[in-house]
Amino acid sequence: MSSTEQGTSSAAPAEPTTAPESAAAPEVPESFYYVHGKDKVVHKVSAGALQHSALIHGMISNLGYTEEQAKANPFPFENIDGDILQMVVDWCNQHKGKPTPPEDTNLPKQKEKLFDLVLAVNYLEIKELLTYCCKQVAMMVKGKSPEEIREIWMIPTDAEDEAAEKEAKKRAGKEAAGETAAAAGDAK
Amino acid sequence: MSSLSEMPELVMENIMWFSDFRSVLTLRQVCRDFRNFIDDLNDSKLPDSKILKMGIISEPDENKIMLDFLESEDSFHRIEYSEYENSRKFQEKTTYLENLNIVDVAIRDLELILKFQKSNLECFSFCFDDFSIQDDSSIHNLPIKLSNMLNVTGRKIKTKKFTVKSHCQFQIMSVLPLAEPEILEFINLFSLDDNMELEIDEIAKTEQWKKAMIFRSDCHLLNLNVEDICHFSSCALKTNSISARDLDFLKKTYISSSNFESSYFELKNFNKNEEISNLWGPEFISGSTRQWYFRLKDSEKKIMRIEIYQDCDIQFDIVKMSEVRNGAIVHDYNEN
Repeated sequence: MSSTEQGTSSAAPAEPTTAPESAAAPEVPESFYYVHGKDKVVHKVSAGALQHSALIHGMISNLGYTEEQAKANPFPFENIDGDILQMVVDWCNQHKGKPTPPEDTNLPKQKEKLFDLVLAVNYLEIKELLTYCCKQVAMMVKGKSPEEIREIWMIPTDAEDEAAEKEAKKRAGKEAAGETAAAAGDAK
Repeated sequence: MSSLSEMPELVMENIMWFSDFRSVLTLRQVCRDFRNFIDDLNDSKLPDSKILKMGIISEPDENKIMLDFLESEDSFHRIEYSEYENSRKFQEKTTYLENLNIVDVAIRDLELILKFQKSNLECFSFCFDDFSIQDDSSIHNLPIKLSNMLNVTGRKIKTKKFTVKSHCQFQIMSVLPLAEPEILEFINLFSLDDNMELEIDEIAKTEQWKKAMIFRSDCHLLNLNVEDICHFSSCALKTNSISARDLDFLKKTYISSSNFESSYFELKNFNKNEEISNLWGPEFISGSTRQWYFRLKDSEKKIMRIEIYQDCDIQFDIVKMSEVRNGAIVHDYNEN
């Protein structure tokens, strides 16, 4: 590692020979990376904030991008909605380099948003935020009946689920039959 | 929109962990996928049920089984299983069990609740009051089915106190081995039949008996061997009689024990007064009670008192020096 060398170089800024070296090393000042979601809106995020995401942290440490390279290659998260990624980025920025508090009351109250956020956070491997989100879901489940839970989160009953599966099979069967019929027609 | 049922495994595990025990049971009823997920989840990933006391009761009126659990002093829950209706009732909600048997359902529910038990229960009680239930009722199978279930899962009930109300020894022997011996402190046996007799030598072979510190029983005990009961710091029992030699053995064990508190023996007859006087020296007589006092091995301030009431009940206990009656002799500690 060259960290000791860099340490010495930053302690002695008067040395002109070390100046190009420190410019080449992106850690001192803070480095930035770029991410975008489904909506292609690019967010500029500091490496420090991105530390929260084990997934992105892993990607960064393997790449060794320069500032220009990072800017030219934003990380695409096509499976995450733009507004959800914005929430994640905001949370990472707010909690950059800080120990996370035991509770987070700033999570979305709307269950649709909360669930999308949970999926994004799980994918990005942001452990603390996932914990808060799951706590929030647990709170929303508490005191509800199975029927209420099914209704709120649109979970089909086993009977409905089975019926839907049967229907899907039937349709798939029909389509397959249709295709073979079409293929047979083509062959004629 | 993403549904709760589409959450990845890690997320679901997290949600379960942060839920309370009853929410997890509710989630289990939401759909088949949740039920399978929860049932397959390792116990360590489930929240603690925080139940203090549990009980399973067979009740002769209306052929019922009751599963009780107390989460705190002001939060008591009961699940009722009725053989007549073949139903389960919990919090005003009745479910008909169709082709399932109430005993199997009750045991499965108990098993599920035990999955969530992380802290030790204060008390688990069984009451098998099925004596007057018709012979063909499946409720008679409750003790043996309980025993089978816990043997299959290898799960032990982690409880400090274990109470069994029964009318035969078989019922006790079915369930006593279900208690986790390392945690069990107190065995409490009640008879639902005035003439109930227990062959205690069989029960004394269990690991649970050997590890327990307190024993109480209102059943009449047969084949009592004092060596089987001398490890209890406190015990109370009924039996035919105890020989002078056995009483002397208990006295010697108790005065050199560091944790002995008291024991009470209700005897059918006792006529070894002369022998006892020869062994323990002159007694102090007060009415129909005869008393002896002995110094303990490890204490200067406390004294062991032995009392024989009306030639049938015998009590050993520890008293302060100031409680020794005027005129009574306090015998010095002597191992022999």
